Amino acid sequence: MILTTSPYAFLPHPPSLLTDNPQNRINAFGPTPSKPFVLGLPTGSSPEGIYAHLVTAYKTHAITFRNVVTFNMDEYVHLPRDHPESYHSFMYTHFFQHVDVDPAHIHILDGNAEDLEAECLAYEEKIRRVGGIELFLGGIGPDGHVAFNEPGSSLASRTRVKTLAYETILANSRFFGNDLTKVPKMALTVGVGTVLDAREVVVIITGAHKALALQKCIEGGVNHMWTLSSLQMHPHAMIVVDEDATLELQVKTVKYFKSIEQVAASEGLGQALPSAEHVLQKRDSVLGKLDSPKSPTAKPFLAPLPPKPELMRQVTPDLVPDSMHTRVEEPPASRELEGLETKELPLSSMHERVDSAQAT
Amino acid sequence: MAISPERSRTGITRLTGGRLVKGKELVEEDLWVSSVTGKILRSQEVFYEHQVTPDKTVDLKGKVLCPGFIDVQFNGAFGFDFSMLPEDVSLYQKGLKRLNRQLVKTGVTSYLPTLPSQKPEIYHRSLPYLGPSGARRDPLEGSESLGAHCEGPFISPSKNGIHSREVLRDAPNGFADLEACYGEQNMSTEGPVRMITAAPEIDGVRTCIPEAVRRGIRFAIGHTESNYEQATDAIHQGATMITHLFNAMRPLHHRDPGIFGVLGKAEGNERPYFGVISDGIHLHPTTVKIAWNAHPDGFILVTDAMYTAGQPDGVYDWTNGDRWVKKGSLLTREGSDTIAGSSATLIECVSNFWTWSHASIPEVVRAVTAAPAEMLGLRGVKGTLDADADADLLVLDARESEDGTRSLKVEQVYKFGTLVYDDSDEGGGL
Repeated sequence: MILTTSPYAFLPHPPSLLTDNPQNRINAFGPTPSKPFVLGLPTGSSPEGIYAHLVTAYKTHAITFRNVVTFNMDEYVHLPRDHPESYHSFMYTHFFQHVDVDPAHIHILDGNAEDLEAECLAYEEKIRRVGGIELFLGGIGPDGHVAFNEPGSSLASRTRVKTLAYETILANSRFFGNDLTKVPKMALTVGVGTVLDAREVVVIITGAHKALALQKCIEGGVNHMWTLSSLQMHPHAMIVVDEDATLELQVKTVKYFKSIEQVAASEGLGQALPSAEHVLQKRDSVLGKLDSPKSPTAKPFLAPLPPKPELMRQVTPDLVPDSMHTRVEEPPASRELEGLETKELPLSSMHERVDSAQAT
Repeated sequence: MAISPERSRTGITRLTGGRLVKGKELVEEDLWVSSVTGKILRSQEVFYEHQVTPDKTVDLKGKVLCPGFIDVQFNGAFGFDFSMLPEDVSLYQKGLKRLNRQLVKTGVTSYLPTLPSQKPEIYHRSLPYLGPSGARRDPLEGSESLGAHCEGPFISPSKNGIHSREVLRDAPNGFADLEACYGEQNMSTEGPVRMITAAPEIDGVRTCIPEAVRRGIRFAIGHTESNYEQATDAIHQGATMITHLFNAMRPLHHRDPGIFGVLGKAEGNERPYFGVISDGIHLHPTTVKIAWNAHPDGFILVTDAMYTAGQPDGVYDWTNGDRWVKKGSLLTREGSDTIAGSSATLIECVSNFWTWSHASIPEVVRAVTAAPAEMLGLRGVKGTLDADADADLLVLDARESEDGTRSLKVEQVYKFGTLVYDDSDEGGGL
């Protein structure tokens, strides 16, 4: 787990325009038409800043979304797609209309699908077929929910229909003219398991009202009442917070995470996730070393090793020239052949020498 | 998963980075228009449902994007006059086409060709060419007629302005007299006449109003001696417009507020729309401001332009043996001080009004877009940037100089989703 207060640590910074910026996950990934970058996207007030940032980056040509495939976390059930509060509208307004992402590469759950169950199953399958999500961005509710995985959701859950918690409906009523009857009661959402399957998860938590949720998710145990706490089980999770969100954390916790960041910075190590390819290559070379037979160090403790013809094949090249010489020089019987000694060993005399040595 | 190959062309233009006049606000958002349907698109729906992306993205760089202007009182310009009919009708048609292509460059994307009082035969011959012309939705035709506006001849002989007294009439037989004058076929529900200006106190006119309105013809009060009560009665009958408020009518008197009085908010009274000529000659700036403040939603700017608009100064012939003298934007009948319409363009009138009133840009723009469209029953079709409306658009450069002068300049014009005029493009457009 990485906790950082540097905003957008994982995003490109428009002024730098550095394509090799290690924090710039999308550019570092180098997406191509055949190998697109698969991005999971949230909605809500915290991510608005990210989208604004990404749009600016796009407008300054620091980034392109041409080869990016997106999957959104959730959508209300039975809310018209063009309703101003629908997540389709949110994404269009804040992000999609401003950048060059291809509409055919956008996936948002359809809350008006005839068969909602099938819609959810299809969604999981679509994610699987593009090779899984590379980076899942997320936000969090004050009750610690991630996507619409309300408190009590299974931490192994997949994409499904979810009934909203009363608290969430109350909180959302402000977007629907404070009329509880107008607030959708159900939503489609990716499961906690779906989020955890992403290679990297980055969650943005800002504001004092989310401080308790952050505390529960970081300092508490893994608990389905704070579904985001499941992030503790993820191999590469990053939480981006502002100072306010850390209000409920212990000083020790905050200091610890800050020190990690400082040490990493002073050692010149980024905290970004290395690319999958890089990790794979590394692993291959390590495995290669483990699998290959150990080369003998050629240090006979007791006696010279008896020649083993079947092992004389050139397993290790460095074995051949050195040991051959030693083995030939050592035997004392060579005294008798003093007259025949030459600086360079003639090939023809090799046979004789061996024969006479056997005779003694 | 492979990325889809190069997409086919969609005819969609995305206008980005502009300040859009939407209602009473200037909003910064994108507008998608289709040159295929000629309409403003519901971009979000097109994006998600049809998964198409625009062919072309135009960065407006902070310029104002507003609906195309509508002039509901426009007698001609660039040497063409709707009421001057040559013997050879094909010349009239040619002239009309040329006018439309020139007019669109001034930002007027639709208008009501207006005929001041004429003899019936002129109406019979000209009106068939002046009806709504947008059915083909061809941007290359330029500006579009929304139907003819017949100003007179059922008007007061004492408020005739430059209308020839000899041709003025009354209507003792009610609507039949109107049909006889304009031509029966021109007065049908789908006919070319879409608006009539008449004086309610003229015999028979009052009774014609409901029938005209039933046929979708807007009824405007103008060139009249009527008092407040007569005007109120006409509005109850269905009149919804006042033609060039203050000009050719009795002034406001504190014991008889006259026509102007109907703009006062009163229980049970629907306040009409009203045209105002803000060329700086017809009305004092303060008068314009008072009218706007009285009823901003009904305020419509019109040019009342004559064919001398866009022509050099000099003496010009007109119908019924009259002659005019043009001097700048001042146009008078020869040998008198009577103002004979204007030679101003609508964008000049809009800039004047903006300078005088210090109203917001959306408020100013409304007077030549949404307000006339609503008056004509074209709400949601013309005069708005809402989705599904016709994509008649202007890109305006709004400037405020230090001496307080404010001006708007037409930089680009889109008609039915196609760019038809670009200021930066020398000799470009149509």
